[in-house]
Amino acid sequence: MNSNVASGLREAGGKRAEYVFEAPVRLWHWVHTFSFLTLAVTGYLIAHPLPSPIGEPSSHFLMGNIRMVHFISAYVFAVGFAVRIYWAFVGNKHSREIFMLPLWRGRWWRGLLHEVKYYLFLTPREDKRLGHNPLAQTAMFFFNTVMTFFMIITGFALYGQGLGLGSWADRMFGWIIPMLGDGEGTRNWHQLGMWVMLMFVIVHIYMAVRADMVGKRSSVSVIIGGWRMFRDDDS
Amino acid sequence: MGIQKTFYEAMREHGVTRRSFLKFCSLTAAGLGLGPEFAGTIAHALETKPRTPVIWLHGLECTCCSESFIRSGHPLTSDVVLSMISLDYDDTLMAAAGHQAEEILEQTIEKYDGNFILACEGNPPLNEDGMYCFQGGKPYVEKLRRMASHCKAIIAWGSCASWGCVQAAHPNPTRAMPIHKVITDKPIIKVPGCPPIAEVMTGVITYMLTFDRFPELDRQGRPKMFYSQRNHDKCYRRAHFDAGQFVERFDDEGARKGYCLYKMGCKGPTTYNACSTIEWNEGLSWPVKSGHGCLGCSEDNFWDRGSFYSPETNLTVGGGIESTADKVGGILAGAAAIGVAAHAAASVISKVKNSDKGGASHD
Amino acid sequence: MTESVTANGFALDTSGQRVVVDPICRIEGHLRIEVNLDTENVIRNAVSTGTMWRGLEIILKGRDPRDAWAFTERICGVCTGVHALTSVRAVEDALGIEIPTNANHIRNLMMLAQYTQDHLVHFYHLHALDWVDVVSALSADPKATSALQQSISTWHKSSPGYFRDVQARIKRFVESGQLGPFSNAYWGSPAYKLPPEANLMAVTHYLEALDFQREIVKIHTVFGGRNPHPNWVVGGMPCSFSLNETGGINMEWLNLVSSIIDRSIEFIDKVYIPDLTAIASFYPEWTTYGGGLSSTNLLSYGDFPRVANDWSQENMYMPGGAIINGDLSTVHEVDTRDPEQVQEFVAHSWYKYPDENKGLHPWDGVTDPNFELGPNTKGTKTNIQEIDEGAKYSFVKAPRWRGHAMEVGPLARYVIAYARGNEEIKAQVDGLLGALGLPLTALFSTLGRTAARGLECSWAAHKMRVVFDDMMANLKAGDTATSNMDLWEPSSWPKDTKGVGRVEAPRGALGHWVHIKDSKIENYQAIVPTTWNASPRDPAGNIGAYEAALLGTPMVNAEQPLEILRTIHSFDPCLACATHVIAPDGQELATVKVR
Repeated sequence: MNSNVASGLREAGGKRAEYVFEAPVRLWHWVHTFSFLTLAVTGYLIAHPLPSPIGEPSSHFLMGNIRMVHFISAYVFAVGFAVRIYWAFVGNKHSREIFMLPLWRGRWWRGLLHEVKYYLFLTPREDKRLGHNPLAQTAMFFFNTVMTFFMIITGFALYGQGLGLGSWADRMFGWIIPMLGDGEGTRNWHQLGMWVMLMFVIVHIYMAVRADMVGKRSSVSVIIGGWRMFRDDDS
Repeated sequence: MGIQKTFYEAMREHGVTRRSFLKFCSLTAAGLGLGPEFAGTIAHALETKPRTPVIWLHGLECTCCSESFIRSGHPLTSDVVLSMISLDYDDTLMAAAGHQAEEILEQTIEKYDGNFILACEGNPPLNEDGMYCFQGGKPYVEKLRRMASHCKAIIAWGSCASWGCVQAAHPNPTRAMPIHKVITDKPIIKVPGCPPIAEVMTGVITYMLTFDRFPELDRQGRPKMFYSQRNHDKCYRRAHFDAGQFVERFDDEGARKGYCLYKMGCKGPTTYNACSTIEWNEGLSWPVKSGHGCLGCSEDNFWDRGSFYSPETNLTVGGGIESTADKVGGILAGAAAIGVAAHAAASVISKVKNSDKGGASHD
Repeated sequence: MTESVTANGFALDTSGQRVVVDPICRIEGHLRIEVNLDTENVIRNAVSTGTMWRGLEIILKGRDPRDAWAFTERICGVCTGVHALTSVRAVEDALGIEIPTNANHIRNLMMLAQYTQDHLVHFYHLHALDWVDVVSALSADPKATSALQQSISTWHKSSPGYFRDVQARIKRFVESGQLGPFSNAYWGSPAYKLPPEANLMAVTHYLEALDFQREIVKIHTVFGGRNPHPNWVVGGMPCSFSLNETGGINMEWLNLVSSIIDRSIEFIDKVYIPDLTAIASFYPEWTTYGGGLSSTNLLSYGDFPRVANDWSQENMYMPGGAIINGDLSTVHEVDTRDPEQVQEFVAHSWYKYPDENKGLHPWDGVTDPNFELGPNTKGTKTNIQEIDEGAKYSFVKAPRWRGHAMEVGPLARYVIAYARGNEEIKAQVDGLLGALGLPLTALFSTLGRTAARGLECSWAAHKMRVVFDDMMANLKAGDTATSNMDLWEPSSWPKDTKGVGRVEAPRGALGHWVHIKDSKIENYQAIVPTTWNASPRDPAGNIGAYEAALLGTPMVNAEQPLEILRTIHSFDPCLACATHVIAPDGQELATVKVR
């Protein structure tokens, strides 16, 4: 029944496996994860600085280093995302899932409903999909893709404040600041964005681990090796 | 208007020699951050123009802008008023009152239609048909609209005229509006600050008189020459920020050593103003230099960002929701963690139930 | 009803010609005055209308009390800092915070600097043009002007050449045809009495004072970071002394402050006071006009504590109290916490009370703006020709002390300190009155008010020296603390508490009343000097200080309101202060219509 089954099928000990996430997608996932975590920690420390080091300011660069790590991670985060967007055009069809919700497909909506019911323990059976199920896809779209965009735009807009008016960051992203009220407002929303993404991370990890433990398909290993395993094949 | 004197003539008549006049021009050029080659341009401009009429209106405000204006050290306010502009109407300074004062407005429209500068201090309230501020028995907003429709350009002095400032802070009981939300068909230059620095005010005026145009404005209508960098960017305590050395409370050891005031709620990192470069009262000091964090008074919404003494500010403006990003974020993340834990527990229970029933487990 | 007698004993007659002056210029904020003249052009009825309202106290509700000073400071940028100081005092009172000695000295210094600068600017830039004819200065003889200057003062800028230069500057300015702020005024009116030489001298000092005033406020810049609107902090001052480190106030800045004090004393004593005396001598009749409430009811809270945190009148450099019914032999103690003493009424103000015949103490006040015009108003809601004072007619409330309308300000302070027997003040007043050959009662007048302000300016400049020296002695003794942060954190505050902050602002008695609940402002109220002076009538029919002072003054020309300006300006009105107003409970603004 599963029409998603397309290429790269292989059988191993009665279990079906399938190649879902290509190497660039998997690589990006981890680059994205670790740059995000670095950004979250350093960002938090920018908002809540550490106790003052003792001595002349010339012998310290604590805040400066924290900010530098933040900025470097931000570049990694942004460039990684740009490459990932490129891959959405050239990669397999799963590579596009996080960028587009197929809202025009009735089947997708039914799948979404099914997933909601499943997670509310209203229905026991889980749809077996290769990529993301519709619920995961929706969450991924809003809490990861859109939020990543938002964080990049607000982040570089704030970065542009330091680079100065007329700098590339100011010209490309500075427009967001008046839209969010002012610089202080932009900072706040940027900070809140971190929390929203962190919330997503928590749920995402739980869902992935849970799917591995109780679901019918592998979830954690798929983002490491790219192959998705199905534990039984009764469909 | 044949008897009107140009700035140069006025200065000559005040006993200034041509030599000193040219020196003044080159100092002005330097003061405006222009190269010496601009001294000639300035000299030419001042030699040939009659004094530009300025109508200075006051709406809902506290007159701190006027007070700041008269603190200008270069040029001196007396020179600006007597020799550079023609301050034909300013209810705070003018000799006339009542009808005689209001007549001047009509005379100005008649004589200088489209050629005078409208300087707005304060803002108009719109509630109660505008009668929360009335002058001559009529709403201030009417006077503002009438004068604006005949002026050449508008200077919005201070945060009241630029953003709304204190009377527009939540819940804005009088519905006080910044000038650009009431007047939409005239060029407006915003000179925010509560108040703006005196020399920034006179600097904007002399720039306009000299070059006969607005200075370059940023995205939000502020002159780039004074508002293109944050106080933080040129703060003399910046080294302590980068080093991570902060004042933790007023008058502590860090305060006496001049550490960074970021943890005391300083808004310098998000505030565009010239305080850290030009400084106040002829370059004597500015809030951070005297030990208090920047309030962010030249930024929109600075009244509604929560405590002035916390580095964390409110997420939204007004509306009764007073919360910082970290509070909201902490709740979100906490809720996610709790939700996950609950769901995990429920999953286990569900699994156990299913096994008990002996049904075909698909898990 | 065209004739009546007010409860506080003033005869009103509304039958004659009505004259409207709106706006009153050269003040802070927006004020409208209407008067009725009899056939002799004497003012027989006066109506004072505050024409702006900003609602700052409504805005303060629910905010951090430590931030309140910044909001209230923006009540007024002319008397900048006074509301901020009152606010931090109110919050400190509510939370039981005691400030360090140095903070008390710095606050006194900043307030005294404010007096000095504010009075100077008021006299020359807001008031002088009521007495000084700029155009007449053009016909002065510079040599005679120089002689006049040298006869009354040792001020160094006094040569004939100097006055000739200034005169030439004014002349070219006038001849340019662009009169700027001097356009359309009352030049040449017979109401101007000064000879041309005195006019030229005064105009010259108008310009000198404009340049000098910006020096005085640098004291604010040193300790508060800027002026207008310096910074303050609950618990002390935000600045630190760094006498052996680099970072705070050091010896260089202290020397600057000291030098500004010396220069201020010199300017005030050599320019302001001699000018004041000279001008006053040409307007003797103005020691009989404009008295109003000043001969009967005066109020001052007293200010400038010598020792920090002691609020007794004995500890004040400027002692306060209340005088009623003209009885100078008794100075009543004023208790700002007593619900029976200070109350506000709104029967004639554009606000609503549940019972408008009763007054409310600021801790219990109610605010509900209610802009409605009386049935006898001429004109429309948005084009008022003549106001109806029988109904509500001002955005200013009517504060009363034990039911009495009171006058506040430098004159009130001086009479009260005089009545208390304060030696410094007595010597100053007796000296000036002696020089002009006038009795003590001459103080109760338009000119008396203007003179008291001048004397106080000099007093303040000299007092800065005393306070500065005290501060240096304290620093020398090793005490460099500027703030007390023990109760900085909201967790250390009582759950529900109230406080009062009192300051004698340049314009008079200023009080802030704060109610703090759960670390937030539950209620905030201010009664400011101009609320007292510009007060409309109360339910009993008592008229306010402006209205009373205008009665009985003859006008030379009904078309030219110079006489009205003289008396109103003698109070130094500040309408943004007076009409900030008043927000207690939660029921904010139910009646405001949104268009």
